[in-house]
Amino acid sequence: MLELALPILAATVQSGTPILYATLGEMLTERSGVLNLGVEGMMIIGALAAFVVTGATGSPWLGFLAAGAAGALLGALHALACLVFQGNQVVSGLALTIFGVGLADFLGTPFIGTTVPGFDKLSVPLLSALPVFGDIFFRQDALVYVSYVMPLVFWLTMRRTSLGLAVDAAGEHPAAASAAGLDPVALRWFGVVGGGFLVGLGGAYLSLAYTHLWTSGMTAGRGWIAVALVIFAFWRPGRAVFGAYLFGGIMAFQLRLQAMGADLPSSLLLMLPYGLTVFVLAASSARGGGVGAPRGLGVNIEPQE
Amino acid sequence: MRMHAFARRRRKHTKRTDPAVPPVVRLISISKSFGAVKANQDISLDIRPGRIKALLGENGAGKSTLMSMLSGRFPPDSGTIEIDGAPARFRSPADGIAAGIGMVYQHFMLVERMTVAQNVLLGQTGSFWLSPRAMRATVGALAEEYGLAIDPGARVDSLSMGQRQLVEILKLLYRQSRVLIFDEPTAVLTPAETGNLFQALWNMSEQGKAIVFISHKLPEVIAVADEIAILRQGRIVDEFLEHEVPSEHALANRMVGREVILEVDAQPVPLGAEVLRLEGLSGNGLEDVSLSLRQGEILALAGVAGNGQKPLVETVAGLRSPQRGAVTILGSDWKAFYGAPQKESWRGGLAYIPEDRQGLATCPDLDMVDNFLLTTRHGFSRQGFLERNRAEEQTARLVEEHDVRPPVPATLARQLSGGNLQKLVIAREFYRHPRIIVAEQPTQGLDVSATEEVWRRLLQARAHAGVLLVTGDLNEALQLADRIAVMYRGRIMDVIGRNEPDAVGRIGLLMAGLRKGKREDGTAGEGARARQGEDGQGAESAPGGAAR
Repeated sequence: MLELALPILAATVQSGTPILYATLGEMLTERSGVLNLGVEGMMIIGALAAFVVTGATGSPWLGFLAAGAAGALLGALHALACLVFQGNQVVSGLALTIFGVGLADFLGTPFIGTTVPGFDKLSVPLLSALPVFGDIFFRQDALVYVSYVMPLVFWLTMRRTSLGLAVDAAGEHPAAASAAGLDPVALRWFGVVGGGFLVGLGGAYLSLAYTHLWTSGMTAGRGWIAVALVIFAFWRPGRAVFGAYLFGGIMAFQLRLQAMGADLPSSLLLMLPYGLTVFVLAASSARGGGVGAPRGLGVNIEPQE
Repeated sequence: MRMHAFARRRRKHTKRTDPAVPPVVRLISISKSFGAVKANQDISLDIRPGRIKALLGENGAGKSTLMSMLSGRFPPDSGTIEIDGAPARFRSPADGIAAGIGMVYQHFMLVERMTVAQNVLLGQTGSFWLSPRAMRATVGALAEEYGLAIDPGARVDSLSMGQRQLVEILKLLYRQSRVLIFDEPTAVLTPAETGNLFQALWNMSEQGKAIVFISHKLPEVIAVADEIAILRQGRIVDEFLEHEVPSEHALANRMVGREVILEVDAQPVPLGAEVLRLEGLSGNGLEDVSLSLRQGEILALAGVAGNGQKPLVETVAGLRSPQRGAVTILGSDWKAFYGAPQKESWRGGLAYIPEDRQGLATCPDLDMVDNFLLTTRHGFSRQGFLERNRAEEQTARLVEEHDVRPPVPATLARQLSGGNLQKLVIAREFYRHPRIIVAEQPTQGLDVSATEEVWRRLLQARAHAGVLLVTGDLNEALQLADRIAVMYRGRIMDVIGRNEPDAVGRIGLLMAGLRKGKREDGTAGEGARARQGEDGQGAESAPGGAAR
């Protein structure tokens, strides 16, 4: 039984990791008060940037950072539309997704079928020797280990630093932040661009660690799952970890079922994570009634005069 | 009555009369226009440390505009702001804060999901890392220093309006603001909280803070201010320095430019049928509330805010269902009344004038016509289509009749001042020819002439309706109501006729939860009064016939 469960659980962590990065990124953006539905587009551009830069330089870490930069760049586009030109956040975000997916498809065509070095499994000394735990959590690649620290850093930043407090204020009540002498527009820039960086990192995981390949449409809706998970997590990083691994688990499980040749149509199994997304959203909004959404989420800051 | 209480404590406040104190802020011929509206014209004002300067004026006289410029929210079109004798140019509120100018806005600028300490220290901490414990300790110490009772770890959304205002004050104190601007600070406060606020203002002014008190409530201005400037239509029409402060009557005159007497002649009208009956209503914070309201009378619900007025009003208005007990509205049971199709019941039913004008009564981003239609749409429906043209005509007519300014039906609700918005709500609700009117704090934040207008309309409404008036202003209750029901901790303590002997004193005791005052005149009642007088809380409600 354990032999059967362990690989699935290890795969759970692997498939949960890109979602975790993206969820934390979108969470940061939303806590600053901006809704960004462009996660899917930012993620896939991140994946492509990581792949191309790694291929060109041979350094997966440079590729990883390039993915973040690409995500941040798209985030800046969204910020420009919403924070400078007062555009509708929903429309701008959707446009960003369509743009990002299309652009990645176009630019990525020559790379289809090629591979890059990327991140390989890297056992942590001592910890990987732990029974069960070691197998699940500490025989993974470097990006997974980075993702363990991320929620903690996120939480510390939001709860224990003046920057986090200020970002939350910009998301909850920008006028109050402004009256306190803060610049809510600048804080939202930080939220959107910083969030875009994290989302881009999530994309990098797909092309550098999860696979070492480029295929078009490789995010396969993970960006949308991240958007849903932010709501599921009530905008709290701890719950985001739980949510990301829950979805990762479903993905790993259905892959394993397919591999075992279960007598079910594969398209039905592929549908599982997305079906769960709908279910989770319905359940969490029935339970929480939208509890936890920053009060200023999705509302632009109107310039004075 | 209020005045009496404030004035008595005022005498303890030692005044410095040195006229040579240089002003900390000097406004020199400031002007500001919004489109064609001249909000401020050629205003010059000195603000000195250790003084409380009142800025008196009607709604829309330009008080808030002036102070927004001083606090750096937007720049003046022309004129100079001098700080300590040097001209200053504010580009943002941050500049204002840096120059030591702090503002307590009419609508609090607080992040409700954060704690008191987080709100106070937001944007203020120099260090990157925060320690929640240290933050609470810092804010707690500051509150203690100025004698403000507040828990620094409490979340703001759990606080009363009075406590939220303390948070705003703490923010200014923490920033060591030298000029503290209060925009209509008492509008949301109970009388006791108002007394506390004034004490805090005097404490701060004695410590050398310059305080600007924006208000249109004359008794409060007279009680609290050292200097008074009167604003009318964007200009300063009068300025009174210390010891020159004239009578309330004369001030009212100067403020509106005509005679206003804030007393109405409420002749009783013959009573009609019973329109509202509550029997043993309990739950939702209410305990065994029984009331009866008849057409032709105004029944006031008095009491300190938060003693059950809200659930009672929300139950009667249909916003929440009664848990235990019976509510009978116009002869129908609560369920039957609110279950009936609105097609017929929109007219001749129950009209609710909520306290929350911008949230509950109107939609800020809709124009006057749409807001008018919110509760009257069933009267403008023909075969399922809305007769918008007729609604526009009616709105234009009502806006004219009720003197809503600007008289343009296309104006959005959020562009109206508080007083004009209330006029629109009242015009709309009266259009429905209600037989019951539930008016919740109907004159809160309104100026003298608007208040007078609302009072007149409520008195007129008795011809066809019974009025349930929820008010925190005892004077309003005494002026208008035939009977006053006093609430305390979800109960009706007693119902007192307006003309009963010593009504004021008894209501005051009942508001504080002391029932004994009713029959045991003499020892028990007096003792309780003396006790209250000492702690300063009861001074509000203690008998004070000398006030008027």
